[in-house]
Amino acid sequence: MKDKPGAEPVVFVIDDDRMIREGMQSLIRSVGLRVETFASAQDFLMAKRQEAPACLVLDVRMPGLSGLDLQLKLSAANIQIPIIFITGHGDIPMTVRAMKEGAYEFLTKPVRGQDLLDAVQKAIASDRELRQDRQELREIRARFDALTPREKEVLELVVAGLLNKQIADQLAMSELTVKTHRAHVMDKTQAQSLAHLVRMSEKLKTPRK
Amino acid sequence: MEATRAKPFFAEPLRYGSAVAFVSIALWLSLILQVPFGNPFWFFFAIAVIVSTWFAGRGPGWLAVALSSLAVLYFFIPPLHSWSIKLPDTPFFATFVLCQVVANWLISWRRQAEDSLRDARDELEARVAERTEELKNANDALVRQMAEQKRMEEDLQVTRTELARVVRITTIGELTASIAHEVNQPLAAVVANADACVAWLSREDPNLAEARAAADRATQGATRASEVIVRIRSLISKVTPEKSRVQINEIIQQTVALAEGQASRNNVAFEFEPEPDLPPVFADSIQLQQVILNLVMNGIEAMSSVTERPRRLLIRSQALSAGQVEVSVRDLGIGVRPETMSRLFEPFFTTRSKGIGMGLPISRSIIEAHGGKLWAESDGAHGSTFRFTLPAGDGPAA
Repeated sequence: MKDKPGAEPVVFVIDDDRMIREGMQSLIRSVGLRVETFASAQDFLMAKRQEAPACLVLDVRMPGLSGLDLQLKLSAANIQIPIIFITGHGDIPMTVRAMKEGAYEFLTKPVRGQDLLDAVQKAIASDRELRQDRQELREIRARFDALTPREKEVLELVVAGLLNKQIADQLAMSELTVKTHRAHVMDKTQAQSLAHLVRMSEKLKTPRK
Repeated sequence: MEATRAKPFFAEPLRYGSAVAFVSIALWLSLILQVPFGNPFWFFFAIAVIVSTWFAGRGPGWLAVALSSLAVLYFFIPPLHSWSIKLPDTPFFATFVLCQVVANWLISWRRQAEDSLRDARDELEARVAERTEELKNANDALVRQMAEQKRMEEDLQVTRTELARVVRITTIGELTASIAHEVNQPLAAVVANADACVAWLSREDPNLAEARAAADRATQGATRASEVIVRIRSLISKVTPEKSRVQINEIIQQTVALAEGQASRNNVAFEFEPEPDLPPVFADSIQLQQVILNLVMNGIEAMSSVTERPRRLLIRSQALSAGQVEVSVRDLGIGVRPETMSRLFEPFFTTRSKGIGMGLPISRSIIEAHGGKLWAESDGAHGSTFRFTLPAGDGPAA
């Protein structure tokens, strides 16, 4: 699931109106971003996507699967991608719904070019960050999963701030054994310091977004 | 036959009392008439028993038999005024009693037969009455049901009318929203493409080809927006019809002249078959022109992909028997698919890339506002026919 080194960011534009689609595509390409366009939400769902930082520019009002429907489908499939919604006038209830579902940005049609580009850049940056976070988290989890049950017990107590002596008492083992386990933990989790170890274990405990 | 079902003429005590009375009368008559006629008791007591049995029933009959036997024994069988009887008189007395018993038995038997007959008749009558009542009830229920149904039908009619009105209002609301969308859409395209054009030009290495393509698309968008506005304006500009007495054939001719250029560009030949003596109609001539022009343009469009047969548009007018004038516009185009047929008159339904899908709904509403009808008929894959009717007349309908 690792991003390919230097995977080029991509912007997906979904709008049923060909001229708008082409205009946005041209605009976004002019700043050097890769663009893929789709005439409908269904087309987008059927297309293959490679792993790369991305964002979605999505018309709320479309025949067939609407922008909101697509948003729900994506979140149901646990596909995380920032969505920039383009709405017409009088779509306030839709806006509220989309916001609740975690839309990244809202732009009113007709969209000013610079607004769209800014939103796209920010969304891609945010996606890149999120992807890195998720990647890092996956790596940390893999490292922590490699610990033995005994090492995990020691880890819990170390992170809780107990001294080696206290840990030895609590787990009914010699201080030397605690030290050995502790060294294994630091080694396996690639922790550079105690503070680093604590930060990593905290990260694992916070629920995944 | 059970006793309860017999219907004697008198109540119980009265019945037995009457038996006593009849026997007493017989005894009295017999005593009086004994002097001139010898022994007439035979007849009177017989009559008393018969009458008692017939009118009062079998029980009182037996009482009459017993009383008259005793009376005969006491008053008429020697030794007189005594309850004793001599041996030679016994057969005579026995015969008398036997006759009385037989009379009582015969009469009561006959009486019973009559009673049961009467009962059967009564029962039959009761049944007939019952059935008649049931039938009457059923009939009443039916009448009520029919009234109910009629009322429901009236309610339904009212609801339908109301629904049609609501649908019209809703359509206007939707129309407004859709118009906003229709105008906003090309404007959004213009803005996106113009911005793209500027962006390509302002790069360090300006890309003129991309900029030109974007500018072209911006122009297309602007054209599309103005087209939408023209359509909407023509749609709104004439809200209230200005009706006058018009000749439909003249209007068709004017409209055909307007569409001539479009037709020749598309290699379409018009064929107009007017009915010569068409009655006039009372209508807004400009609105009728719009309708006919719309149908004609649709016809031309429908034949744009036809190459294997001549592109002909047949326009015909005719008078219908019911004081109606009918105009039909028939094309030899690609026809209308059945699933499309039902949606033809829906607002914003269109099979063309450039249409906004308002032509037919507006045409229909114009024709309906004139008291007529507009509908489509498919001729399979060989074209379609659009027809409308208008009521004939040279003034406002009464």
